Amino acid sequence: MDFVSLQKVTHTYRDANGKPELIVDGFDWAIGEGEFHCLVGRSGCGKTTLLKLVAGLLQPDSGSIALQGQPLRDPGEQVGFVFQRPTLLEWLTVAENILLPISLKRKPGPADHEKLESLLALVGLSGLADRNATQLSGGQQSRVAIARALILEPPVLLLDEPFAALDAITREELQDDLLKLFRSRNTTVLFVTHDIREAVYLADRVAVMDRGQLIRDLTIPLPRPRDGEIRYSQGFNDLCADVRHAMDVPA
Amino acid sequence: MKHKLISAALFAAFLISWEVFSRVSGFSELVLPSLSAVLATLWSGLTTGYLWPHIWLTGVEMLLGLATGCAIGFVCGVVLGESVFLRRILYPYIIASQVIPKLALAPLFIVWFGFGMTSIVVITALICFFPLLENTLTAIQHIDPQKRELFRMLGATRMQTLLRLKIPAGLPVIMAGFRVAVVLSLVGAVVGEFIGGRDGLGAMIIASQGMMDSPLMFAVLIVITVLGMIFFQATIWFERWLLRKHVTGTEQ
Repeated sequence: MDFVSLQKVTHTYRDANGKPELIVDGFDWAIGEGEFHCLVGRSGCGKTTLLKLVAGLLQPDSGSIALQGQPLRDPGEQVGFVFQRPTLLEWLTVAENILLPISLKRKPGPADHEKLESLLALVGLSGLADRNATQLSGGQQSRVAIARALILEPPVLLLDEPFAALDAITREELQDDLLKLFRSRNTTVLFVTHDIREAVYLADRVAVMDRGQLIRDLTIPLPRPRDGEIRYSQGFNDLCADVRHAMDVPA
Repeated sequence: MKHKLISAALFAAFLISWEVFSRVSGFSELVLPSLSAVLATLWSGLTTGYLWPHIWLTGVEMLLGLATGCAIGFVCGVVLGESVFLRRILYPYIIASQVIPKLALAPLFIVWFGFGMTSIVVITALICFFPLLENTLTAIQHIDPQKRELFRMLGATRMQTLLRLKIPAGLPVIMAGFRVAVVLSLVGAVVGEFIGGRDGLGAMIIASQGMMDSPLMFAVLIVITVLGMIFFQATIWFERWLLRKHVTGTEQ
């Protein structure tokens, strides 16, 4: 059974004057358990809206979304979400930010602090727990945001262009760390990006979206675990070219 | 350091030219008392204990008015910020009450609450109310939408979103309103005393005018200025302490 499934999902946005605009148009997609999928498209193609639909932050007008066979209603613990910006709370420390999902429900206990320590080690932030969130670099803030999304160990992780604002080297480091986390936890991931190379490097499958519709579905047969060298291989570049051509649709 | 020196030098130059000008110009003491006469009046007022009850009274009125006005302003700001319904209904009234010169209401309050402390505290509170209301309302309405979505994702209740996101995130803006309220509270208390006070620094200014005692008037003005600067500096420290965790840094 598919872990995450979208069937004929449609979402219409109404502006202040009530003028409707179709953002997501009959989108079908399925993600198997423990798979890493990327959704690519130009800016404004509706990919962020689609991700918010899967998160339960928005409701579809028609069609259905199911997580583990259960129809999705509201945002919940089964989904972790990483936003475009780190969205850390500036007045809290790194540890308090990462524990926020827990502290909103109960007082974090010793077990939670152990989990925090191991997560900090996994994202390479050991020893920074008591720093103020704003004292970190952009890359470190993104790491905190990922750790925060993972603290409740959600089976599904959604990421909305989390690395778009980072420099190229930092972005590659974070991509590798994300893949490591993904491998170690068997999390099902849907990752939205406009960066074709990023999508091909990370994903098992890539969906190309344009004006709310799925226009290409591409399996990435590159072996795992992947490392930076693969980016310069012929197969990798052919796949990138493939995705790029798919995005060349007449306006 | 250099700026402080220049600033102090400027102040000294001002005092010296005041003293010299008042002696040379030949203006009567009623129009421009000399600095030395003003300082002598101030000194005797402080040492004989004549001024202290007035300073105390004005300070208490100011603090009571400030606390009441800010507390009510903050609560109203939060309520209006949270309820679209109330905001739509009450906003025209808020605008209307904002544009009324609050001091013009002072005579009415004297009719209602009598001469003395109550009226002055009410006037001061009314003046402090608006900056807090306005800034609290603005602050909690302009929270980063992604952070609000984050709290929705985490299943936070409305109360949790308010207490753990909106108010802490809005605190710098709310405190800016508080700073304005502190400055206005001294204006409120002093001018309130002009109209409705028997005692206090504002009443003393009116009394010294009646007695044509300009050195006393200048002495009281100096006291009011110092009082205001003490309160303002205390506010800055309080704000720094409250926002100590809001370290300014780059967000990305």
